[in-house]
Amino acid sequence: MTLSSSFKHNAFGWLLISPFALSLVLFFLYALLRTIAYSFTQYDLFNAPQWVGLRNYVDLFTDPLFFRALINTFAFSLIVTLVQTSLALLLAVALNAEIKAKGFFRTVYYVPSIMSSAAVTLIFVWVYQKNGFLNQLLSNVFSHQVILIAFTICFVTSQITLVIMGRKRHQNVKWADPFYALISLLVASSLTLFLTTSGLVEKQETEVIVSWLGTREVIGPLPLTLWAIVIQNIFTTVPTLMLLFLAGLQGISDDLYESATVDGANKWQQLWHITVPQLAPVTFVVITMGIIGTLQMFDQVALLGGGVPLESRITLAFYVYHYAFPDGTSPQIGVASAAALVLGAITLVLVFLQKKLGVKEQGNG
Amino acid sequence: MDNKLHSKNAAQFKRRRLVSHLLWVYTLLLLLATVTLGTFVVAFVASIKDDALHEPNNINIPQLHPSNWFSAATLGHSGGASYLFGGFKPEGDITFRVTYATTNDNILTEPVIEIPRRKPGSGMASIAYPHFAADYANVSSIKLITTDENVDYVQTLGIKKLVRKGKSATWEFTIQYSDYGPDIKHIPLDITTPRHQVLIDSTIPPNRFERRGRVASWSNISPGLVGYIFKSYARVWNESVSLDTGESLFWSWTVNSFFIAVMKMILTVLIACAGGFALARMQFAGSRVIFVALVVSMAVPMQVSFISNYEVFNSLGLLNTPWAVVGLLVASAQVLIMKQFFESFPRELEEAAVVDGASPPAILWHVFMPLAKPAIASVAILAFQGTWNDFFWPLVVLTTPPEAYTLPVGLLSLRNSYGVAGDWNLILAGSFLSTVPVLIIFIVFQRYFVGNNVNSAVKG
Repeated sequence: MTLSSSFKHNAFGWLLISPFALSLVLFFLYALLRTIAYSFTQYDLFNAPQWVGLRNYVDLFTDPLFFRALINTFAFSLIVTLVQTSLALLLAVALNAEIKAKGFFRTVYYVPSIMSSAAVTLIFVWVYQKNGFLNQLLSNVFSHQVILIAFTICFVTSQITLVIMGRKRHQNVKWADPFYALISLLVASSLTLFLTTSGLVEKQETEVIVSWLGTREVIGPLPLTLWAIVIQNIFTTVPTLMLLFLAGLQGISDDLYESATVDGANKWQQLWHITVPQLAPVTFVVITMGIIGTLQMFDQVALLGGGVPLESRITLAFYVYHYAFPDGTSPQIGVASAAALVLGAITLVLVFLQKKLGVKEQGNG
Repeated sequence: MDNKLHSKNAAQFKRRRLVSHLLWVYTLLLLLATVTLGTFVVAFVASIKDDALHEPNNINIPQLHPSNWFSAATLGHSGGASYLFGGFKPEGDITFRVTYATTNDNILTEPVIEIPRRKPGSGMASIAYPHFAADYANVSSIKLITTDENVDYVQTLGIKKLVRKGKSATWEFTIQYSDYGPDIKHIPLDITTPRHQVLIDSTIPPNRFERRGRVASWSNISPGLVGYIFKSYARVWNESVSLDTGESLFWSWTVNSFFIAVMKMILTVLIACAGGFALARMQFAGSRVIFVALVVSMAVPMQVSFISNYEVFNSLGLLNTPWAVVGLLVASAQVLIMKQFFESFPRELEEAAVVDGASPPAILWHVFMPLAKPAIASVAILAFQGTWNDFFWPLVVLTTPPEAYTLPVGLLSLRNSYGVAGDWNLILAGSFLSTVPVLIIFIVFQRYFVGNNVNSAVKG
């Protein structure tokens, strides 16, 4: 390659990458540097920034609201990522079979993830109203709890009896044998029907009134309001993530499981030693995207509306917005920038830690 | 004892397990589908009800009865010359019937008809509907049509439902547009009777009862089919009006969202193809640095860069214009997807073209991009959907006037103006309405969504 052709090659390369490179430099690198600079100043977007040294950071770490935001963000991110990943994985394993009507189910499971978070959140705010759908549903479930418990007892007893009887006949049946489970379902349903019609077991009217949103109650690491958002997030992401895992599962060769069965590994050992490592590339992406997405959670709490106490819904992303564009008072860009940098640092550290210590990209156990 | 019998039993045993296992899998799939869609279905039904919050969640609502659809369409036609949207126009002429029942020891009295001066909703409704049907309607005198001396009817008292025996009477009256005047969207109606008298039938059912059941109240007796079922949806469209122009804000938001999503989609595809090609196929000086910056930029939250970006668009004078949203184009993920797709192409592909003296941009345009259509479609659709649903950045740069909002930001303003009044029908209707375009695109281009999400996610 001559000098001029190498120059030309580079020139064309830069020409093609330039739109992307320019936007990256302007909207990312330059913006990052400016935010770092602003974090050492006092600035309200109108008057020139005043250098204040580390004061914004000192203010930040003495602000109880910031600590609440920090804890909320951490807890929210960890809980949602952990629960949605494991739930999606378990569901995928349970549903991994050759099935018909795949397209239909796929469409249905994708619906929550194609809707805007704004629309989904508003629908869920309706669900979470005091006389809303969730409380009605819970009231219904609790009103029928005796019946449900009776049903469960019948089902479990019947299943245990059937399996023990089957084993006596030297059948090689597992506790979760699907055929016996079907029979147990029938038995339990008819028994419960008998118990309810004969009046031995009765529905007891119970009313559940939980104030999901307009409350300051804190349960464990999170305010109740954010638990509601946790449920909403898991609800909307699990079906989609499950599809990702399902696609990954169907790529695992059956030979692996067959040789493991020959070696005498049971189902749980197979799940732990074959399925989980083989799915590592998918899991890596799901967890990484989960961490990044949940740490920036903003839309949901912004749409909750002013009726919800600030400390019940504050996250780091919302804290940043709250100080950069406050209602009524002048912007505090310095504090907002410092908080944004803390959020950015936490994200990078967590993603890095997950890459080093957590699930590896390459599945090698 | 008998080997053949034994193996037959074993085969049967195995088949039973297989079939039962599949049955459980389908049950679980359906259960998950019900849970996933169920909430949205219930919320949708709530959005077409008379009151989204204060009624039990069941599907036995008047808006879902086909007989009411027929009446609503007929009324809409006679009142406003439109089977679908109804209304009240000059020459409008509506015939309305009501049947009341009472116990045998009471007397059935003639109901009192009134067309109240009432707006159909809270909030912006006062601006959206400047005219009252009451000012243009002539209500005929009420005529007794039939009586029935022996009826069974249900009286609702609070949560109690009492079955009673008694007599009933059916009255009819007409409402005519008096002369000449504006097109009016609603004809509200109140009918007052003594408390013992129970409304058991009417051309369309009332929307609510007031004053302890004495007043049966209709929001609109000329709704048309769409106006009847999708009352709240029509309200979102009509009531979210601009104070300056009187145009529907929801329409402006939809136009903005479309414009921004389409522009951003086109630009994203071009940037992603050019950038992806350069990173995949041209090891130019500095390509490594750009790749590292790309990966880091994907992990850094928007909140870190938005203040500076806000100032950039502010100094360009583009705040509150669609360009502020379109202009923020950091298509890192999309560049990565295209890079990975182009890397899977064989080397021979461009070698022939290079020998022919084609430049890299020409190779990209004539060779690579035509072959990458599926990946481009995925990137395009995901860019459209992502932009359509984006909330944070539009919220920052689109603050005033409300005409400049995109749909998600508009939804926040709906939530703020109607949430306090508890008008959840309207908020739910707005949410669903804003979803329709992406839903259509999703259904049409489903395979690109699904295929890409899986592949890009696994590789990315």
